[in-house]
Amino acid sequence: MGVTCVCQVPVSEGKSVQQTVDVLHKKLEQLGAVKQGSFCVDCETYHATGNVSGQPTKLLYVMHNSETPLSCMGLFEGGPCMIADANFDVLMIKLKSHFQNAKGHKVECRGSRYRYCDFLIKVGTVTMSSSARGISVEVEYCPCVVPGDCWNLTKEFMQSFLGPSVPELPSVFAAKPEGLFAPSDGVDTMTQYLELFNKLRKQQVPGSNVR
Amino acid sequence: MSGGPAVRVSIESTCEKQVQEVALDGTETYVPPLSMSQNLAKLAQRIDFSQGSDSEEDGIDGKPRDREWTKQEPEEEEGTVKFQPSLWPWDSVRNNLRSALTEMCVLHDVLSVVKEKKYMALDPVSQDPTTPQVFQLISKKKSLGTAAQLLLKGAEKLSKSVAENMENRRQRDFNSELLRLRSQWKLRKVGDKILGDLSYRSAGSLFPHHGTFEVIKNTDLDLDKKLPEDYCPLDVQIPSDLEGSAYIKVSIQKQAPDIGDLGTVTLFRRPPKTKAGTQQWHVKLEAAQNVLLCKEIFAQLSREAVQIKSQIPHIVVKNQIISQPFPGLQLSISLCHSTGEKKNHRATPDKPKPDDHLYVLEHNLHQMMREFHKQQLSSVVMPHPASAPFGHKRMRLAGPMAYDKAEITSLQHNEGLLEKIIKQAKHIFLRSRTARTIDSLASRIEDPQIQAHWSNINDVFESSVKVLITSQGYEQICKSIQLQLNIGVEQIRVVHRDGRVVTLSHQEQELQDFLLSQVSQILHLLILIPKYHTYNSKTLTGNTLLLHLYIFYFLFFKLYLADSNCIILFENCFECNIFTLVCL
Repeated sequence: MGVTCVCQVPVSEGKSVQQTVDVLHKKLEQLGAVKQGSFCVDCETYHATGNVSGQPTKLLYVMHNSETPLSCMGLFEGGPCMIADANFDVLMIKLKSHFQNAKGHKVECRGSRYRYCDFLIKVGTVTMSSSARGISVEVEYCPCVVPGDCWNLTKEFMQSFLGPSVPELPSVFAAKPEGLFAPSDGVDTMTQYLELFNKLRKQQVPGSNVR
Repeated sequence: MSGGPAVRVSIESTCEKQVQEVALDGTETYVPPLSMSQNLAKLAQRIDFSQGSDSEEDGIDGKPRDREWTKQEPEEEEGTVKFQPSLWPWDSVRNNLRSALTEMCVLHDVLSVVKEKKYMALDPVSQDPTTPQVFQLISKKKSLGTAAQLLLKGAEKLSKSVAENMENRRQRDFNSELLRLRSQWKLRKVGDKILGDLSYRSAGSLFPHHGTFEVIKNTDLDLDKKLPEDYCPLDVQIPSDLEGSAYIKVSIQKQAPDIGDLGTVTLFRRPPKTKAGTQQWHVKLEAAQNVLLCKEIFAQLSREAVQIKSQIPHIVVKNQIISQPFPGLQLSISLCHSTGEKKNHRATPDKPKPDDHLYVLEHNLHQMMREFHKQQLSSVVMPHPASAPFGHKRMRLAGPMAYDKAEITSLQHNEGLLEKIIKQAKHIFLRSRTARTIDSLASRIEDPQIQAHWSNINDVFESSVKVLITSQGYEQICKSIQLQLNIGVEQIRVVHRDGRVVTLSHQEQELQDFLLSQVSQILHLLILIPKYHTYNSKTLTGNTLLLHLYIFYFLFFKLYLADSNCIILFENCFECNIFTLVCL
């Protein structure tokens, strides 16, 4: 488990989502990366029922990552998060009375997985109810677990194929305490994905004005 | 009578009284005569009560005894009279009567006790038979006749019951055999048939063979005919494809030049002798189960041979799997299944080929298959807490610890049966070849001597041997060459005594060269020692080359000047920089 950075790549002008993704694939292959299958990250939203009115309902996000196929992550936005066994989904069904599934809000990100030496690059299409909303790129530097040490290297690597749309240090890493050994783990990755999904959900559907 | 006057004869008793005393005046005082009662008493005293009615038996003995008693009695009388003068004369009579009464009472008691026949019995004295002989004969004959009739009746009854028992026993035999069968094999009743299961499915196998056998009753036999020796009231019918016996032949050969005769391995091994006392059905069922297990092993191996990608593909032909563990070497695993009938067709047994069958690998295959079965069963170890999922203990952590794919695959067993057996075969081959190399070198080189100490405790994939190279007389010096060889699956790791580690590949030549280099190191030491023992060890290493050169040139020139017909040979042992001169 290394340091992961998730960022959004804007869709190129005049091209569809699929075409932009293909361009990225080509760039990666030119760089020398090797395709190693596919990946999938999805997120389901649950409303917490039975809380006092006036307070906003707490949303529980249950996320899955194909990189950790036997795990299930449960997150509150900005709140506590946990990594659980795959049976957590079944548990959520049992907790139907307390957490209701918002079925229309399921977000998925699917794409292919590339490996370039110590880097793992995943280029995926974010879809919400079968409509593509955006492109996500996840870059993981496997050998290191401390984000501060390898951020510069990761940024440089991302520049080589992303071009100008390289993000700044993600907020999850900035929030880590200085000076203490704070390794990053799957929770950080999922938090980043969650932020991305929420951002994309709030965005307008691209091409919806085309009728 | 006439003749004279009658003479009156008067008889008087001489009742003369005894004179007690004579007084002074001459008067006589007579003892008064005994009265009638006194007379009676006197006479009664004389009665001897001790004399019994059997006085005639006592006869002569009795009389002296009587005399003694009568003698005693008067003496006693006198004695008693002496001591007790007031004893009246009837006393002895009374005593005698009393003793007689006592004895009569005793007799009466005895008789009454005997009459009850509970505590005493009278036994008549045997008397001579006085019956006439003819009567005896007739009575004997009659009694014998009745006895004979009784016996005959009894014998008839017995024979009838024996016949019945035989029939019952055969029935019961079947049941007892069935019970014995059930104690060792799984049986179930389907309709009116009894079926059994001889597969390993309940032990964890996933082979799709049903493995059902049928139990047949064998009890309608003719009682008159003699029963065959191996008669068993129970017979089993096994599925037709499990008949006969099978084994898996694993052998390592040099690469076969032609592949024409693949899949034709039918070497058959004699079936093991059955233990005396085991039932025929047991032998049959065990053989069928063995055939099933061999089939399962072979199916698993061939499935893996086809599916798993390896650098050199495995060849699967009919009943043989061929793979190449090392270049030039061939590992062949074949399933040899022979049904019993073929034995008759072979007129002459095949010339026994050298049995290169590796029993160890066959045994390991069986063991690994059984382990795989056990894993299937016991992989469902009860989880803690009870709500956790089934599976490997470490796998339960995979979820909460967010293991990625690499970590998960490292947890799971991903090595198949074929890979394992190939690794084992490689190791066995490498080990035997290493042993052969060391032995051939040791026999070829006489001085110094090479010794190999193989360790007893080895692993399936690793063995070790310690090689010592010493020379006679120079053991102290030669202690420096002690090599520990760890023979793995594909490589040999050599550890020197001083800690240096060298890794050799599986090539035979490499090992040979390496050992030769070690031998020449010893030679180097040996040559140095007798010449330079006067030098101390510190300067030895620094000056050896100089000295070598000095000697070389000296000898060279001397020889050249002396005799130009000599041949000088150099031998340069690597790592040693030693020149040896041989002059002819």
